[in-house]
Amino acid sequence: MRDWHAFVRERLSLPDLIAEREARIVREIAVQLEDFYREARAAGRSDADADAHARQQIVDWDRLAKDLRLADAVHLRPALDRAIDLHTAARGGQPGVRTMALHMMRDARYAVRQLTRTPAFTLVVLLTIALGIGATTAIFSVVNGVLLRPLPYPEPDSLVLVNEVVPQYGSFSVAPANFLDWRQQNTVFERIAAFNSDRAAYIHKDQPEMLVGATVSWDLFDLLRIAPAIGRTFRAEEDAPGKNAVVIISHGLWERRFGGDPAVLGQTVNLNAAPATNIGVMPRGFQFPSDGEYWRPIALNPANATRGGHFLGVVARRKAGGTLDQAQAEMKTIAERLAVQYPANSANESAEVVSLQDRVVGGVRPALLTLLAAVGVVVLIACANVANLLLVRASVREREIAIRMSLGADRRRLIAQMLAESLVLALAGGALGIFFAYLAIPAVKSLGGGSIPRVGNIGIDLRVLAFAAVVSIGTGVLFGLVPAWQASRTGVGAALKEGGRSATASGGRWVRSTLLVAEVAMSIVLLVGAGLLLRSFVKLTNVDPGFRPERVLAFRVALPNASYPEEHQRVAFFDRLLEGLQRIPGVAAAGMIQSLPIRNDYVLSFAIQGRPAPQPGSEPSANHRVISPDYFKALGIRLVRGRTFTNRDVEKSPMVAVIDEAFAARHFPGEDPIGRGLDIGNGSDGFYEIVGIVGSVNYGGLDRAPNPTMYVPYKQDVFSTMWMMVGTGGDPAQLTNPARQALLEVDRRLPASGMTTLATVVDDSIAQRRFSMLLLSGFALLALFLAAVGLYGVVGYSVSQRTQEIGVRMAIGAQRRDVLRMVIGGGMKLSVLGLAIGLMVAVLLAKLITTTTMLFGVEPIDPMSYAATAGLLAMVSLLACYLPARRAMQVDPVIAMRQE
Amino acid sequence: MFSPELKKGSSEMLLLSLLESRPRHGYELGKLIEARSGGRLTFALPTLYPTLLRLENRGWIKGRWVEKAGERERCFYRLTRDGRRVLAEQRKTWREYVDAVNDVMGLDAKGISRA
Repeated sequence: MRDWHAFVRERLSLPDLIAEREARIVREIAVQLEDFYREARAAGRSDADADAHARQQIVDWDRLAKDLRLADAVHLRPALDRAIDLHTAARGGQPGVRTMALHMMRDARYAVRQLTRTPAFTLVVLLTIALGIGATTAIFSVVNGVLLRPLPYPEPDSLVLVNEVVPQYGSFSVAPANFLDWRQQNTVFERIAAFNSDRAAYIHKDQPEMLVGATVSWDLFDLLRIAPAIGRTFRAEEDAPGKNAVVIISHGLWERRFGGDPAVLGQTVNLNAAPATNIGVMPRGFQFPSDGEYWRPIALNPANATRGGHFLGVVARRKAGGTLDQAQAEMKTIAERLAVQYPANSANESAEVVSLQDRVVGGVRPALLTLLAAVGVVVLIACANVANLLLVRASVREREIAIRMSLGADRRRLIAQMLAESLVLALAGGALGIFFAYLAIPAVKSLGGGSIPRVGNIGIDLRVLAFAAVVSIGTGVLFGLVPAWQASRTGVGAALKEGGRSATASGGRWVRSTLLVAEVAMSIVLLVGAGLLLRSFVKLTNVDPGFRPERVLAFRVALPNASYPEEHQRVAFFDRLLEGLQRIPGVAAAGMIQSLPIRNDYVLSFAIQGRPAPQPGSEPSANHRVISPDYFKALGIRLVRGRTFTNRDVEKSPMVAVIDEAFAARHFPGEDPIGRGLDIGNGSDGFYEIVGIVGSVNYGGLDRAPNPTMYVPYKQDVFSTMWMMVGTGGDPAQLTNPARQALLEVDRRLPASGMTTLATVVDDSIAQRRFSMLLLSGFALLALFLAAVGLYGVVGYSVSQRTQEIGVRMAIGAQRRDVLRMVIGGGMKLSVLGLAIGLMVAVLLAKLITTTTMLFGVEPIDPMSYAATAGLLAMVSLLACYLPARRAMQVDPVIAMRQE
Repeated sequence: MFSPELKKGSSEMLLLSLLESRPRHGYELGKLIEARSGGRLTFALPTLYPTLLRLENRGWIKGRWVEKAGERERCFYRLTRDGRRVLAEQRKTWREYVDAVNDVMGLDAKGISRA
C-alpha cells in the first residue's frame, strides 16, 4: 500500500493556512483516501485497482486547495507572515528593507501577544517605566518651557541687558546720564533702550485700580521687533519731557477695560490723574519687562539727567555679526571711561552685558538641571528594575528559547524579537508616562508658581513628546539588551535538560545582583541629595527673620504726584490712613514702610558724623527704611536700646534715626552709637541723630545674613509709595476688606495694590527652594520605592529558585530562623554593598558641588543626612527582603523535595 | 442524477442530521449518505470535506482524533449544542419549504399529484 500521507502532502499545498491546520487537513484526507483503498481491497479488488479507485476520489487538487482555503479562512496565517513569505520569495530569499520592516512588525505583534499572556508582569513593567518616563517628561517640560523655549521676541539671541557694575553692590541699575552716554557712544548695538517699572492709579467707573506698567525709550518696541496689534508705537519726538502724554496699552487691558473696541485709539486715559492719549495696543501675550499693562515714553531729559541715581533697566539688541564678548568689552570700556570722566558720581563704576534669556531664567537653571539629572537617575533605576524583571522572565522562558534555537531559529532574530518586546514595553510605558506627565504638570506648575519664571510656558509640546519618545526608546534598548543577550547565550543542551539549573539562573544571578547594587547606589545618591535639600529647607524655615510675619497684612498705596504734589499733603494722607487702619477692630498696630520686607530693596550710602569722609565710590552703605512709629510694633521687631520713633518726630523737629544691631556691630564696634549723627544719602540736609537700636531683620531674605539697616521717621523723609503693615491678633487675611474700606474713606480714587500677608511674602521667598526640595524628595522616594521593588523581586526570585534547597536544609534540621537569616542575609548583602557604593558616590558628588547655592546651613557632606538616608534605605531593604523570606520559611520540606 | 446546486444547498443539513445520533468520521459520512439515499445521493470527498471544515469553523460540529480498538486514528465529528439548534431550525425550514413547494405544485405530503 502506498504512503497516502506522502501522496496527499505532495499534491495539496495550503501555504496560507497556519501550519497545524494544514497538517490536520492533509492527515484527514490521507486517512479517508486510505479508507477508500482498504474498502476496495476488502471488496476483493486488486491492489492496483484499489489504488486507482482511491486516487480517483480527488481529481482537481488545485480546486480542492482553493475550496479548503475558503472553507477554513478563519485559520489563515496572519497577513504579515504571508506578506513576508511573498516578499522573501519574490527577492529570491534575499532580505530587503521591506522584508526587515515586515519582520519588525511581526516581532512587535508577537511581542504584544507574549506580553498580553502575562498581564501581571506586563503591568508591573509598564507602571515602572511609566513612573520613570512620566517624572522625566514632566521635569523636561519644565526645562523646555522655562529654559529652552526662546523668549517671545524675534531673534531673541541678540537681545541683551546692560547693567552697571558699582563697587559696593556689583551688578546694578543704570543711571540715566550714563544710559544717554552709552546710547551715543556704543557701536555694538543696533538699538539700546531704557525702561523703568511704573505704577499708576487708574479709575474706571469709580473703581480705582492700580495698574503696573513701564516707562520706556521710544524705540523699545522696534528694538524687540514687536509691532502693535493696532495703532502705532512711540515716535522719537514723544520721548521728551512735556511731549510724552501718550500711552500704549496691553491687549489684556484693552479687552478688560475697553471691550476690545478699536475706537480706543485717540481716547484719553487718566493715569495718576494725568491725561495721556492712547496711541496703540500691543499684541496679545506681549510682555516687557514683566507683566505690565501700559507703556509710556520714559522722556529722559539730557539737560539734567542724574548720574548718581541708579534706577533704569537697559535692554539692547546686538548688531548682526557681533558677539556678546565684543559687546561686553566695548560697554566696559565706555563705562570705565565715564567713571574716570565723572569721579564724583561714577568712580570705579563699570558695566556688564548679559543675554536677556540668561537674566530671565539664569536663576533657576541650576535647580532645574539638578532636577533633570535626578529624574534621569530615576529612569536609570526604573531601567535596572525592568531589566531585572525581564531577566527573570527570560529564565522562565529559557526552554521556549532553547527549543526555538534547536529548531534552527537565528540568534540574531531571537535577539531582535526580545528587543522588540522591550521596545513595545518601553513605548507603551512611555505613552502611559506622557499621560502621567500630562496629569502631573498642573501640579508642578502650581508648585513652581511665583518661584519659577515663565511658568505659563510649561506644557507638552512637540519637543517634549520627541524627548519622551527618545527616552522611551533609549530605555527600551537599555533594559532590553542585557536580557536579550543573556537569553540568546542559552546553550540549547543545557536548558533542555529536564530540571537542569539553567545558564541564566547562574549567569543571570550575577547580572541581576549587579543591576540591583547599582539601583540601590543610585537611589542612595538621590536620597542623600533630597536629604540635604530637606535639611536646608528646615533650617531655612527655622531662621528667625527678626520680625514676626504671621499676623501682618501688607498692601501698597501710591500717591499720584498730580493730586499730592506737596510733602505735607502726603504726610497728612498717611497720618489719616494709619489712624483709620488703627481703628479697625482687631488691629494691634498699623505701621508702614517704603519697601516691602524680603521683596524690595532700598540701599543708600551714608557718612558718620565726625569721621573722615571716604573716597567717592567707597562710601559705606546700608539698608534705608522710612517707617511710621508703629512699624516696629506691627512686625514685632524688638527694641534693644534707646527709643523708637514717636508722632513727635516730625519735619520741624530734630532729625532722628534708629539703627539695627547689625549696623551697630559693623559701624560702631565697641562704641555707643546712641547720640551719634548719620548723614544719609548724598545729603545736604544735615545729620540724623541715632536715638535707638532695634533687632536686626533679614530684609534680603531668610537665606541672607541681616544687612545693616537704618530707619528714619516718614515725616522727615516722606515717600509717595508706602507699604502699609497692619498687625493683628487674628487672621490678617480677614482685614483685607476693612483695610480697603479705610483707604477709601481717606481717598476714594486710590487703589490698594499688592494686598498680601507677610507670611505669604516670606513663604514665596523660599518657594523655589520648596519646589526643588519637594520634587527631589519625590524623586528620591520614587527611586527608593523602585529599588525596594527591585530588591523584593530579586530576593523573591532567588527564593523560588531555591525552594528545593531550602526544603533540603529544613529536612536536615535547619530552623525557620536559619532560613530567614539566610534569605534576608543574601538580599541585605546586595543592599549594603549598594549602600556603601552610593554613599561614596554621594560624597564624591558633594565634593564637586561644594559651591552650590541650593544648600543652606548644611555642609554638602552632612553626616546627619547621610546617616538618616542609610538608615531609611536599610529599613526599607530589610522589609523588601523579609517578605520573600517569610515565604521561604513556610516551605514544606516534604513538598519541596518531592519536586526533585 | 440531481444537479450540483440542489445537492450543495442540502449537504450541510444532511451532514448535521447524520451526526445527530452519534459522532462519525468523514469517510463514514460519505458512505452513509450514499447508502441511505439508495445510491441516489453521492458526495465526493472534495465536496464533503470542505463542508465539514466549514461546519466545524462555524462551531456547529467538532472534530476530534480518536483511536478505536483495532482501527486507525480517525477524526470523529460530533454535533455541538449550537449544531443541534441549527439542525432543528433547518429541519423546520425545510419542511415548510417542501410543504409550500408541494402546495404550489399540487402535490400532497407524500409528493403524489393531487390532480
